[in-house]
Amino acid sequence: MRPEHEILVIDDEEVVLDSCTDVLSSSACQVLTAGNGAEGLKRLEEARPDLIFVDLKMPGLSGLEVLERIRAKHPLMVVIVITGYATVSSAVEAMKKGAFDFLPKPFTPEELRLIAKRGLEHNRLVQQTIALRREKEMLRENFAAIVSHELKSPLGALQQNLFALSAELEDKLSEEQKQRFERLSVRLEDLVKLIHSWLRILSVDISKLKETFQPVALPVVVSKAVETVQPHATRKAIEIQPTLAEPLPTIHGDEGSLVEVMVNLLGNAVKYSHPESKVAVRVQAQGAEVLLAVSDTGVGITTEDMTHLFQDFGRGQKQPEGVSGAGLGLAISHRIIEVHGGSIGVESELGKGSTFTIRLPVKPAAADSSPDSQRKV
Amino acid sequence: MSEPKQLLIIDDDPDFVAGIKAILVKAKYAVDTAYNPKDGLSALKAKNYDLLLLDVMMGRGAEGIMIARKLGKDPKLRELPVLIITGIREQMAFLFPGQAVHPHFVDVDELVEKPVAPKLLLEKVEALLKTSETRKAKSK
Repeated sequence: MRPEHEILVIDDEEVVLDSCTDVLSSSACQVLTAGNGAEGLKRLEEARPDLIFVDLKMPGLSGLEVLERIRAKHPLMVVIVITGYATVSSAVEAMKKGAFDFLPKPFTPEELRLIAKRGLEHNRLVQQTIALRREKEMLRENFAAIVSHELKSPLGALQQNLFALSAELEDKLSEEQKQRFERLSVRLEDLVKLIHSWLRILSVDISKLKETFQPVALPVVVSKAVETVQPHATRKAIEIQPTLAEPLPTIHGDEGSLVEVMVNLLGNAVKYSHPESKVAVRVQAQGAEVLLAVSDTGVGITTEDMTHLFQDFGRGQKQPEGVSGAGLGLAISHRIIEVHGGSIGVESELGKGSTFTIRLPVKPAAADSSPDSQRKV
Repeated sequence: MSEPKQLLIIDDDPDFVAGIKAILVKAKYAVDTAYNPKDGLSALKAKNYDLLLLDVMMGRGAEGIMIARKLGKDPKLRELPVLIITGIREQMAFLFPGQAVHPHFVDVDELVEKPVAPKLLLEKVEALLKTSETRKAKSK
């Protein structure tokens, strides 16, 4: 059975190798030794120690060279240098080249044990970090495939059968029943869209949106968003009041994702508003920026919540009854607006309501290759 | 009208298949179904179909793709028009890096995304059958 740890000691002094072996060997720890740099590097080809001690002053390959070669091949290997002459400069040089720590000779068994323990602990953390990072990467890479298969397939089957049923029953359904089929379809589609937006935040690089920026008319964005949120508002008898201070400049961006942002803000405003209240949308030019503000007179946000409002899964504490959501909307919105070179902010008073304000630059920050295209639409 | 056209659907989701099949049956097509690649391939060998509807994302991708590849290699089966049904486009791009989103496994194929609206489905099926017939007429 492989011991829990392997430590490689590279030193030309046999007494050091022996004493290290004596002090560090245990049932859980095996000590490998090498009498010079070349031998040490050779041992590294077959063994994968958790920790390496290298003497700096050796005939042949110097400790620093050995250190450099180890780090070049195994960048995350934890290496501790042994400094024969207790000069700080050589130790500093070694640390600069990636040594984790240094051990001045002569050392007591206690010092050796302590520094070895620290080295092994550091290695454990490094390995753990690598494993976590790998796991995260894999999750990220596979997420799209997994989510799409596991969530979208059943929805696809549902949608397909709705299509088929409404086609089959075309002659038999009343107008009202047809409309209900239509609503079912729309709701399913919304769900698919929701899955897409989760996918976006978790696996897709939103900054890629930039590559397909086009002139966008904000009134279109607002009306599309209002249209989407309207059914939810109607259900709570909330009135959405858009005020567009025309003429509004055209901005450079991605219409779909800007609509998504407005749907998020309007949806939130409706969600956190009291029934029979009003939600105001105000769009106006202000200097080189366009302001889009969504105000509600709902529950408001605590100061504490405001700090992590735009983070992933950052839902507020203050939830009206029956409100659900994963808390991704604002995080996605934040990223989308950032990609547009704009900013998003919030002002809120608990119990009185909140106002979310988006500021978008009229001229894109980066030079636009086709300035003419902006004036069209 | 002459004999109904013979269609085969290969897709591992029986509910989805039901939703596709109903639309096609209503449009007077004769529709067979297979819910896994093995049954699908043996059905293709046992009978001469006019068109295949294939879910390429079956079994997380590999299995549907495998059928598509086999079709492309078979001199007889590659004549068969195929309507490729897929989950999302991005995945196709992922599976065939550097290629157009539409992979063109066989001579005559088309791509639709799940779910597919009845009108679009019937249009595509009709168009594929027509193209395939024109090709056959020419080669004779």
